[in-house]
Amino acid sequence: MVVRLDGVRKEYGDTAALDGVSLEIRAGEAVAVMGPSGCGKSTLLNMVAGLDRPTAGSVTVDGEDLGRLNETGLALFRRRRIGMVFQFFNLIDDLSALDNVALAAQLTGSSAAQARKRALELLDELGVADRRNAYPSVLSGGERQRVSVARALMNRPALLLADEPTGALDSRSGEQVMDLLIDLNQIGQTLLIVTHDQHLATRCASRLVQVADGRIAGESVIAEPAAARPSGVGRSGVGRTT
Amino acid sequence: MSAVWQVSRAAVKRRKVQTFVIGLVVLTSTVALVVALGLLDAASTPFDRTFDQQYGAHLVVTFDPAKATGAQLAEAAHRPGVTAVSGPFAQVVLTAPPTRTNPPPGVDYPAPGPITVVGRADPGGPVDRVDLWDGRWVSGPGEVVLMRPPGQEFGVNERVGSRILLPDAPPLTIVGFASSLSQSAGAWVTPGQMAALHPTATQLLLRFAHADTDGQVAAGLAAVTAGLPPGASLGSLSYLAVKQDMTGTARAYVPFLLGFGVLGLVVAVLIVANVVSGAVVSGFRHIGVLKALGFTPNQVVSVYLVMVLAPGVAGAVLGTGLGHLAAQPLLRMVFQGFHAGYFSATLSPWVEVLTLLGMPATVLLAALVPALRAHRLSAARAISAGSAPRAGRGLRVQRRLSGTRLPRAVSLGLGLPFARPGRTALTLASLALGVTTVTLATGLASSVNALMLTSKEDVQTVVYVGDASVAGQVQPKLTDQQIDSTLRALPGAARVAAAAPVQLHVVGADQGAWVWFLRGDSATVGGALLKGRWLNGPGEVVAPTPFLRKYGLSVGSRLTLELNGRQQAVTVVGENLDGNADSMDAGWGALTALTSEQAAHRYVNQYWVGLAPGADVGAYDNAVKAAEPGLEPAARGGTNSITVSIVGSTSVLTLLLSTVAALGVFNTVVLNARERRRDLGMLKSIGMTPRQVRVMMVTSMAALGLAGGVLGVPVGIAVHHVIIPAMTDAAGFGLPPGVMAVWHLPLLALLVLAGIAIAVLGALVPAHSAARLTIAEVLRNE
Repeated sequence: MVVRLDGVRKEYGDTAALDGVSLEIRAGEAVAVMGPSGCGKSTLLNMVAGLDRPTAGSVTVDGEDLGRLNETGLALFRRRRIGMVFQFFNLIDDLSALDNVALAAQLTGSSAAQARKRALELLDELGVADRRNAYPSVLSGGERQRVSVARALMNRPALLLADEPTGALDSRSGEQVMDLLIDLNQIGQTLLIVTHDQHLATRCASRLVQVADGRIAGESVIAEPAAARPSGVGRSGVGRTT
Repeated sequence: MSAVWQVSRAAVKRRKVQTFVIGLVVLTSTVALVVALGLLDAASTPFDRTFDQQYGAHLVVTFDPAKATGAQLAEAAHRPGVTAVSGPFAQVVLTAPPTRTNPPPGVDYPAPGPITVVGRADPGGPVDRVDLWDGRWVSGPGEVVLMRPPGQEFGVNERVGSRILLPDAPPLTIVGFASSLSQSAGAWVTPGQMAALHPTATQLLLRFAHADTDGQVAAGLAAVTAGLPPGASLGSLSYLAVKQDMTGTARAYVPFLLGFGVLGLVVAVLIVANVVSGAVVSGFRHIGVLKALGFTPNQVVSVYLVMVLAPGVAGAVLGTGLGHLAAQPLLRMVFQGFHAGYFSATLSPWVEVLTLLGMPATVLLAALVPALRAHRLSAARAISAGSAPRAGRGLRVQRRLSGTRLPRAVSLGLGLPFARPGRTALTLASLALGVTTVTLATGLASSVNALMLTSKEDVQTVVYVGDASVAGQVQPKLTDQQIDSTLRALPGAARVAAAAPVQLHVVGADQGAWVWFLRGDSATVGGALLKGRWLNGPGEVVAPTPFLRKYGLSVGSRLTLELNGRQQAVTVVGENLDGNADSMDAGWGALTALTSEQAAHRYVNQYWVGLAPGADVGAYDNAVKAAEPGLEPAARGGTNSITVSIVGSTSVLTLLLSTVAALGVFNTVVLNARERRRDLGMLKSIGMTPRQVRVMMVTSMAALGLAGGVLGVPVGIAVHHVIIPAMTDAAGFGLPPGVMAVWHLPLLALLVLAGIAIAVLGALVPAHSAARLTIAEVLRNE
């Protein structure tokens, strides 16, 4: 089991953003968490990423009980086990595309040369190697998100979290990112996608989790886990070296 | 390269303006501190070190051998409190006449004036271990060792092996040069030789258990002289007076340089805190991303610390180097002259080590507080907020301002500072300190000018008497009295005072003193009186504060002047403003009492002329030259080197600190504009013109500039009231009241406006950039 949430409750003042959420995600699964704005799906993602702590309940990711980790421990956990993709990319404006991606590996102690080598491979796989020296401000939305995905994959995370990964993209770029996520899942990457985009959820995920008012309102299986499907190089190009 | 370094380096490159500002402010304050600390160190350490090495005398006391016997002196030297004593040594004061010819080879003429000769068998002893830096000590008759600061020889043929012709003494061969920081003698001979010179006084060199203050030294003197017959003590010289005399000029610079250094340091702390807190506030999302990527809280803090440490270290290194360079000429200037050999124009290593380590450490501490906010910040909140939430207070103020009749761009601008009270407070503080700096600099320059004007007497031109032995000069045909009459008769002359500077012996002091014997309208040329009154009769002198301090005198004290064996008792009737520890003023009658009326006229070598209001100095000087070609008139200049160096260094430091304050404003406006891109885009989309955007951004800082001016001016005046007395006290003279009265309403209004000027200058460029921001660009980046 890669993710296990057990009775997780999160309160912000008098408001409960999550209320007794329990959820399990197996290795190789692609799970989409859906729901209207303010339902608590981003809070759920923050809990799994160790970006925030539950008021009650426990969160275990890749065998690590996050409640037992201090802030430094959580940081080490994130850098080794989690990759995150955000709606607004959250690239560091001061760094080139290549350095943004390499940074994740450098945090784990890789040398700059090693990190850049792997970063370049990933950018190449994701089709943005020619933009490696460009800064985020001059990249298109699709390019930024590809760089963001490359950064998330840099340390071969146990779990890739995606928060509205196509929310800021035009439809063509969105489709490209979806292909990317599907391909990643096909080669065994466990995915947790938070979205309110039905199309994204049904295309990329093998299981849908509906959240409403901070609770799990329902679950449905779309298909067998991607890991069980035939593997190979997908339409995005991912799979050659990842 | 580590991830922290990678991100920090990128942040430094990205924030070029902030990096430059931090570097500049650290550099500026480092330069001021290096120079100030260097001077402070140079003014104390070399003297103290050499004094300790020489077991210097806390007090040199001379006694009249006719009144105090050897047994009495031996008993006096062992009074409680006396820890060591050398002597008694026989002493005589010889007065060398002026000479107007060069000495023949192998012979040296001493400088005109008195020279104290002491009979001493060896240079060592418990007190005043004389530093024999060239040659050997005297070992028999016919030999002399001259007292000279290390490495300094003054006479034309002054070297070991030459003979020196002292008055009333056989030719003596110079066998060595030695220095005594106690200034116990001008020359030493063997006790046997001294007997042949007919000594007139006996010298005791004393060290006390407690001698840190003038009071303690005076108490030591009182203990030693207690029980001796009246008049047995002819005079004394405290090492504190010698130290003040040697280091006073250097010490005068220390208060204002330290003042600017501390101001610079505070501005540096404010700017660093502002830059880092601005970077943290505007970089909330950035912090969130770093944490999401796996940066630990400490690593995130490290990013911000390294970001400021890089320019901080660069500023400290460059500032220390520049301070080192700037200190050299200043040290050379303040230690020039007779005492130069005791001091070296090099900085002590501790000064450089202190600034190299201390300045970056200060920068780190200043950055730590705002950077810790990034440590505490929840990653989830940071990443979702994008920037720090603004306080509601700004919104309420904006609502109130919107109801006023001010143009909307102005009212919006006035409300901006309230949105970020912390940033506003830091910016306001650096603006206020900028105005404080300008105020202090203005006050310093005005006071130093006032001081120089006060001390310079009401003299417009000085007419020197030509000396035929000097190339290019002609001996006047007119006599002293005829010259005096001629100068008075020329058009424009209002006052004429004849001056006869004579170096003579002050009984009880080992060194000679210059006495300016004045005749005619001397009351207006003697400089500002700090205490007492001006000369009224032949038995009176007026002396400057350093002279009185050096010899432990005050108004009312009596002393004896001696010239060529003739003595004249005089009373100190006034204390005047002059930094010279070796000169005083006396009336004409005192000179005629010491010589003769006829001889006195030969000493007059200059005339100080005060002109009537509106008279042209150039025309007067031309008339003087035409009347007597043997006269050399010289109009009085407005400044001297100390004024120039103080006003010059003050101006440079003020310019730098004002620039830094303006750059602090620049930084704030850049941050505000960056943070308000969405607001700016929205305002422009609803019709705000670029000009209105500029007005809004500049107004926001102009208001702060006004507040900074109102706060900074009184602080500047207060600092001025601390620094000027500290400077004059360090220089060794009193403070004339007019020197502090430099503030008047129009000047104060201008200084307040300086705050607005600094703020507007700092805000113009980023306001212009904000005005040029295109809506599409804003939306694209959002």
